[in-house]
Amino acid sequence: MDKLAKQLRDDAQRIEVEVSPELDARIRASLAGLRQETGRPPRERIKTASYWWASSLTGIAATVAIISVINLNKVDPESAITEPAPQQFTMPQFTWKPKPAVLTETLEQELDAIQSDLKKAEQVIRDDFDKIGI
Amino acid sequence: MNSEMALIAAAKRGSVLAFTELVARYRIGLLRFLVTRTASFADAEDALQDTLINAFRYIKSYDARWRFSTWLYRIAINNAAGIRVADTEALGDLCDEESDPLEQCIAASERENLWISARRVLSDEVYTAMWLRYAEDMSVNDIAAVLGRSVSWTKVNLLRARQQLDAAIAGTKNAEVSKAYG
Repeated sequence: MDKLAKQLRDDAQRIEVEVSPELDARIRASLAGLRQETGRPPRERIKTASYWWASSLTGIAATVAIISVINLNKVDPESAITEPAPQQFTMPQFTWKPKPAVLTETLEQELDAIQSDLKKAEQVIRDDFDKIGI
Repeated sequence: MNSEMALIAAAKRGSVLAFTELVARYRIGLLRFLVTRTASFADAEDALQDTLINAFRYIKSYDARWRFSTWLYRIAINNAAGIRVADTEALGDLCDEESDPLEQCIAASERENLWISARRVLSDEVYTAMWLRYAEDMSVNDIAAVLGRSVSWTKVNLLRARQQLDAAIAGTKNAEVSKAYG
């Protein structure tokens, strides 16, 4: 060992340190805490053939059950299609009862009255259409 | 006394007692090293505590191909760096003589400690390499493993560090001679 190496080693030894009792207690307490935190023994694994078969069958059964439930709850795509509306639509039969117009007012007033009657009739027809859902 | 490997095996099984016995022989050396790597003695103590806790926590990952001390020092260096992470200055600039734990721990000595000079002239990493080589008597391969550097890098930097330290010692001696003879 050369002179410099020896001096470095000696000087390192001359750095006076000690682990105080307080630090020692702190370290021991931390280690003990860590032991309690992580020191639980791991569960022993069962590695037998029967265990393997049982777990496999359970998995398969669960998969089948899930697939069945999903399919039962699934909406049938054919039934989901609404039937087309019937092409034939039966128009209601109107019974026309023509009456001779009796002009009791001036022509203009009669025209107004007729238009008003037409509007009322139109409204009645619209209401009827609404009732039958057209 | 139990062998180191037996203690390691017991510690891996979770024995705090075995781990405590295992690290007992390294504690003083680690603390001495950490004193030179931290800004206060309290920081060095904290770093030692963190080092030992982390070592116990991860001892199951310890690979027996490494020397245990090598593995332990690697953890210690990381912890010291973590404690100093907020410091952007080099440690040599950071510490004044009154608060420097290294200065405090060698205050009784009469001549200047070479490690103070080393810390002044060397980078942190090279200083660590020197410490591991000469204070801990570690092999170059182990030092390279601790630092995560190549063996070549370690050899070259150890050589340069010695030259720098020699130059620093020579400079100090010349300055003393000049001072003495005016």
